[in-house]
Amino acid sequence: MNSQQGQNYGSNPGQQGLQQSREMEYLCADCGAKNEIRSREPIRCRECGHRIMYKKRTNRMVQFEAR
Amino acid sequence: MPDASSRSKVRVKSTFNTLERERKFKNPPEKGAVVPILNEFVTPHIESFNALFDDSGLPAGDGDGRGLLHLGIEEIGKRVVFDGRGDVGAESGQRGWGNRLTMWYEQVSVGRPMVSERDTQAKERRVYPAEARERLTSYRGRMMVKICWQVNDGPVEVEMRDCGLLPIMVRSARCNLRGMSSAELVKHHEEPEEFGGYFIINGNERLIRYLILPRRHHVISLVRPSFVNRGPSYTPYAVQIRCVRPDQTSVTNTLHYLSNGSAMLRFSWRKQEYVIPIMLILKALVSASDKEIFEGVMMQDYEDTFLSDRVELLLRSFKMYRLYTGDQCLQYLGDKFRVVVNLPEDWTNQAIGVWLINKVVLVHLQNPRDKFRMLLFMLRKLYALVSKSCSVDNPDSPQHQEVLLPGTLYGMIIKERLEEALNSFREGIAMDVRNSNPSVDFFDKRYIKKVLQRTNYDIGAKMSNFLATGNLVSPTGLDLQQASGFTIVAEKLNWMRYISHFRSIHRGAFFAELKTTTVRKLLPEAWGFLCPVHTPDGSPCGLLNHLSRTCRIVTAPLAVAHIPALLAAHGMTQAFTPSVDGRRNLCIQLDGRLIGWAPPAVCKQLATSLRIWKTEGKHNVPLDLEIGLVPVSKGGQYPGLYLFSSRSRMMRPVKYLANGKDDQVGSFEQVYMDIACTPAEIEDGVSTHVEHSPTNFLSILANLTPFSDFNQSPRNIYQCQMGKQTMGTPATALQHRTDNKLYRLQTGQTPIVRPALHNTYGMDSFPNGTNAIVAVISYTGYDMEDAMILNKSAHERGFAYGTVYKSYTVDLQELTGSRRVSSVPTLHFGFGPEIKTDGPRAHPACQHIDPDGLPCVGARLNPGDYIAAYVDDTTGRTKFAKYKGDEVAYVDTVRLIGSDAGDQELQKINITLRITRAPVIGDKFSSRHGQKGVCSQKWPAIDMPFTESGMQPDVIINPHAFPSRMTIGMLVESMAGKAGAMHGLAQDATPFQFTEEDTAIEYFGEQLLAAGYNYYGNEPMYSGITGQEFAADIYIGCVYYQRLRHMVLDKFQVRTTGPVDPVTRQPVKGRKRAGGIRFGEMERDALIAHGTAFLLQDRLMNCSDYSTAWVCRTCGSLISLGYDDVTLGEMVIGADGALKPTGPGGEYCRVCRAAAEEEDERQRQALASANANSQGRPGADVRVAIPSQHVLGPATKGGDMDIIAVPYVFRYLCAELASMGIKVSLEVR
Repeated sequence: MNSQQGQNYGSNPGQQGLQQSREMEYLCADCGAKNEIRSREPIRCRECGHRIMYKKRTNRMVQFEAR
Repeated sequence: MPDASSRSKVRVKSTFNTLERERKFKNPPEKGAVVPILNEFVTPHIESFNALFDDSGLPAGDGDGRGLLHLGIEEIGKRVVFDGRGDVGAESGQRGWGNRLTMWYEQVSVGRPMVSERDTQAKERRVYPAEARERLTSYRGRMMVKICWQVNDGPVEVEMRDCGLLPIMVRSARCNLRGMSSAELVKHHEEPEEFGGYFIINGNERLIRYLILPRRHHVISLVRPSFVNRGPSYTPYAVQIRCVRPDQTSVTNTLHYLSNGSAMLRFSWRKQEYVIPIMLILKALVSASDKEIFEGVMMQDYEDTFLSDRVELLLRSFKMYRLYTGDQCLQYLGDKFRVVVNLPEDWTNQAIGVWLINKVVLVHLQNPRDKFRMLLFMLRKLYALVSKSCSVDNPDSPQHQEVLLPGTLYGMIIKERLEEALNSFREGIAMDVRNSNPSVDFFDKRYIKKVLQRTNYDIGAKMSNFLATGNLVSPTGLDLQQASGFTIVAEKLNWMRYISHFRSIHRGAFFAELKTTTVRKLLPEAWGFLCPVHTPDGSPCGLLNHLSRTCRIVTAPLAVAHIPALLAAHGMTQAFTPSVDGRRNLCIQLDGRLIGWAPPAVCKQLATSLRIWKTEGKHNVPLDLEIGLVPVSKGGQYPGLYLFSSRSRMMRPVKYLANGKDDQVGSFEQVYMDIACTPAEIEDGVSTHVEHSPTNFLSILANLTPFSDFNQSPRNIYQCQMGKQTMGTPATALQHRTDNKLYRLQTGQTPIVRPALHNTYGMDSFPNGTNAIVAVISYTGYDMEDAMILNKSAHERGFAYGTVYKSYTVDLQELTGSRRVSSVPTLHFGFGPEIKTDGPRAHPACQHIDPDGLPCVGARLNPGDYIAAYVDDTTGRTKFAKYKGDEVAYVDTVRLIGSDAGDQELQKINITLRITRAPVIGDKFSSRHGQKGVCSQKWPAIDMPFTESGMQPDVIINPHAFPSRMTIGMLVESMAGKAGAMHGLAQDATPFQFTEEDTAIEYFGEQLLAAGYNYYGNEPMYSGITGQEFAADIYIGCVYYQRLRHMVLDKFQVRTTGPVDPVTRQPVKGRKRAGGIRFGEMERDALIAHGTAFLLQDRLMNCSDYSTAWVCRTCGSLISLGYDDVTLGEMVIGADGALKPTGPGGEYCRVCRAAAEEEDERQRQALASANANSQGRPGADVRVAIPSQHVLGPATKGGDMDIIAVPYVFRYLCAELASMGIKVSLEVR
């Protein structure tokens, strides 16, 4: 888990919960383009303007008990 | 049947077409569809919707190709409002009404679904259904209406009014997927087989289902005892006709026979029923003289005194009205109905009369003369019915039925909404005039526009509501018998269920409540139109049917205007001929219009000619014309030649023997036709037609049951049910679906044994089960009573492994704490600053949730885990959404859903959760022959029985499953599957392929023999435990098994202790709330009968609402408990020095103590009055600390309390009764 504090304080002045102005990468549901969307930014593909995004599969280690 | 060549060992080509199918799946065709037939079977849905629009792509027929909406707004007509108040004089014009404002619709247009104009970024302006599904919105297009108005005779003003967003049927003329090939469909995230026909409302696929209606434009005779209750002199006899206007709205006219010989015409107007003497209408229509009516009904049959008596009475009884001319009748009608119909005040009574007749009497005919002739025909049929010379028609027979098409209903509702809106527009102005609103100025455009703006025109929202709920909100009722249940969800549980939604046809909600079962009967008339096999068992049995595979519903208007002339040229007497002999001539009708008369022989000749012409396409006779020749009979159906060319009729293809051409047969004409099922059954001189295939009478699903002709029929019904409950492959575009629940079989296979139609319908794209090696043996006892034993190793190899996808939406806008009105949201996905996201003391939510507040894709969730985090701006706190399910799930997809215009931050997410469902003990499986069973053991492979070749069965079922159920089809499938697996053949299991001479056993037995097996499919087997050979050979083969969606994990319910109802303290009910299972009266009876008193006590008392209560032995009351504080071991001594008796904890009965004290007081007073010298009032109670065990003497009144065990509800009941002043007294022994 990465730390998420301390970046980009200035982009959202006046809000308290600011630390999540960090961006996440999502995939457009229509064209599949990678989109970096910050918290509180509109959900819209930069390539095609589509209005649905998929979350990428986590790159954390996913290991389950194998029985 | 594949011929003997398939038995040879040299195989040319795979009969499974695996590679071809894979190639098609990878590269769907760029032109056309993968499975074109799938587009055909929803055409009634789509074409009926298309028919709403002018550019429907349907042939014009006799009309000018205008859509139903256009015809509808024409039918709505004009609305008029005046700015005067009707007082003559003053400045308000000559007649006192002032200026006349007329308003009407000119045009309705519906656009394709588009991105909202506010969105400036989207490159693709079209919205596709996949987006509506994924964003959980509706698939809608903009509807606009052009409103015109005119003051007096001034210029016509035009205004376009927005009617909101109208839900659009997928793949219709207004859908963006229209005409797309499979490849393009896949590009737009649809199935390659997507066929449309449904609407998308809030992300759900909903469709308007077919409904059975009375056949239009055909007079049916009815005898209903309830008609007698309509009023004095009413009889059970009536004839009825359902008339349909060009815009497909209908009006039903009923002609009731009265005991005085006359008849009354009944119709309903805005849900109110009215009756008018038929004479009034006859006269009003064409100003007919009495003689004309007499001759018209008698038709030269003067010897028939029954008829002449009645006609005489009919004519005489009308004399009392003193109405002689048509105008008088019209005026009379107009006068009576003026208050009802709400027409412009300046219309004359006569105009209103004409309008009324146009609107309600035989509305399918425009010409009054046609209406007159038709009414005379109805009268003749009514009198024939009364005289018993013709029989009663059965309204439950498909002969007299047609289908309410989705598009038709949709159009009717839109029309009514438009009419309502126009009325309220008019009413808005009328209200202003009535209130003398100073702003009223008919010549001021701005005023009119203002009123128009004020009027509610959101028709789109109303239609969305209709589709979402299926409820019809209508002031007229639309001539339908029900107001709800019009739409259903097209569940994609599996492909079979999904496609059968589109072929289902319902009799009507009204009939579901009917106590009689006659409506549910399977009638021979339904042959070929409704599937006799595919109907659910239980309450909707026989009411919810499915269309047969080849049954079509006519959706295109036909051109038949030339047919009367054509028939007249071939011997028909024209309708206008003054004197026709009714005894020798039959009437000829075309769509409920009397077009002529002809003798029975000529009628027959005409019918035959028409049939030849229509099959050969001569004289432009359309193929879909229905030629219903009802022959003359003694007391049978009223004879005549009835031609139908209208839409909504059920038709099916058969072969016409006379010329070998394809013919379309309707449900009306079929009754009088001889259609052979197979070429072998053709009888010379009798059969006129032959079926294309003997399986055409079955629905798609019924057709997919292999060897269904070997099974007992109820088993096939069960298979149709279970095929729809199977865990299969619901869709291939799974990642673009947001259904609430989807079941998926991971290891679907194509069945080795399948009917030919399996390929025709492309069922291999959506496999529904697995080929299993099935041994029929009673092995361990674990296969008793329809249980089955699963091979544990088969299960471990993935046999019947399934997954459930559940979707879950987190919508911050809907959550409490968000201010809906404001445009700026107050809730945001993400963590607040107070949540520690890393380090050893990180918040537990961070295990599953990324810093964006959304769950990680792939995370494993346990019940109660957090799946989303959001921050509330107002409090600054972080809140969490939790996973509410009760099993382990994995996050499969997380969708971030943007707003309509793509300009808002994230407020809504949709999470698809994947729940693994390996088969476990208690899961339900079935073969395709109605043989369902529950897995009772997963038996270790080492202990399974094995054959000589070392094969082990995947499934063991008990031989007792067969004798009583007689599912021979399953036995044949087992043989065929075994042979098919060995030879690599896809076995054809189409029913009706084998005969007594050429048996299935022989055919598959030979194949088995060729593969080195026993002829009959049984083999020596060895016990897996002892290794000894069984005494009997075991029947073992390959059967396609379906895993049903009923799984123990969704059903099990156990509880020892748990939540109780706060009022009764009994366990709550419901699996969801961890409640108990009701131990009801019948269960109680059983325990009583067995004498198991302890068990009874345990179930109903100890494990339910056991409680103890103090009861007073003296008065028997449960509710009068009082306490004295005796915690220190003291006793209470009353003022009189006597001990106040209490129980060990100070309990006493308040009622008894009060009664005792009162008695004391009375005695004391008696004493006092005698002594005249009392000690005064007794002092307060004194507390003395005497250990209670030291107190001797009997407990006197008020202290005789006992503890008893009673159910808590009983105490509650006592309290409730006490509140009503009823005392409950227990006797304690």
